[in-house]
Amino acid sequence: MTTATPMAATEAVSIEIGGMTIALRTRDSSFRRLIENRYAGFVGNSLESNFEFDIDLLEPSEFSAVDHGLEVKIEAGEWLLKRGDFYARWNPNTSHGHVRQYCSPYAIDCVLRIVHSLILARQGGFLVHAASAIRDGKAFLFSGVSGAGKTTISRLAPPDATLLTDEISYVRREGNCYIACGTPFAGELARVGENQSAPLSALFLLEQGLENRIEPIGATDAVQRLLRNILFFADDPALVELVFQAACEFASLVPIHRLIFIPDHRVWDIIR
Amino acid sequence: MMIMSTADSTFFTLNEVASAIWQAADGHTPLSEIIAGKICQEFDVNQDQAQRDAEHFVDELARHGILLVSDIPLTEFCPTLVRR
Repeated sequence: MTTATPMAATEAVSIEIGGMTIALRTRDSSFRRLIENRYAGFVGNSLESNFEFDIDLLEPSEFSAVDHGLEVKIEAGEWLLKRGDFYARWNPNTSHGHVRQYCSPYAIDCVLRIVHSLILARQGGFLVHAASAIRDGKAFLFSGVSGAGKTTISRLAPPDATLLTDEISYVRREGNCYIACGTPFAGELARVGENQSAPLSALFLLEQGLENRIEPIGATDAVQRLLRNILFFADDPALVELVFQAACEFASLVPIHRLIFIPDHRVWDIIR
Repeated sequence: MMIMSTADSTFFTLNEVASAIWQAADGHTPLSEIIAGKICQEFDVNQDQAQRDAEHFVDELARHGILLVSDIPLTEFCPTLVRR
């Protein structure tokens, strides 16, 4: 694992997600506080980081008024990340990046998601549009199309379940095992996940119905539905192939089921 | 298909019907026409139910700034606008 140069703690905020520390350095103290509040629970104490980004805050007038959408590509070994509200460069070899953005948490949030998705792609993991939780030491993912029930299943989680996220799950590979890690990327619950992790026991593809039941799903269908929910932003055929392989290998090692459920707390009785 | 709001980075994973509506939104074609002329032709859905679901869907996207909803057509092609 690459380690960047130690930095002055007073200038930077270290955000630890999935065991990966990214230091965000800004001269603006109010923006630093905004980051600390937004990522509360994921702010690390370590003076060493895996990667670090310098952030320059710009006025909205300094960006194009036209929304060109998101662009992520690599040029001469350096990743270029661009959206209407930010422009970032990141060199994985030097562990250093630079972000120019509005004074908005959404821009840096998007940069972090992209950087983690790029790191995970090379390690056989991925970010996925899914809720996740730990119960009895085992992690479960809950994915599905919008409206299928990610927020609902998160809201219904019993007190002994630890919610890792209601929106974007972090899946890391360790040998033949996958680990689900908490993320600060919140959805409609507007609740940051717990910064914990556990071995993944199953992925449930959510569908609301008239009863609670778990049904098997074929391997091809499982991979297709998993791929539909994986977050990957880069225009990079080699990495896309790695993500595809990661989804296939995940489906061969982690049980994937359909979870048809009534939106009340009893659904958690069958999640094992 | 997955789409992301550039306003607040919210993600939406769309099913086949929602994807078809999203792709048909051009700033000119009314939503009712998309439902009758495309969705009901390509999918086994009830038109009234499809219309209600589609209106809920476009309102949700509009709430996150992903889609504009307008009563009048645009003069130019606009892939993120749908007419009532």
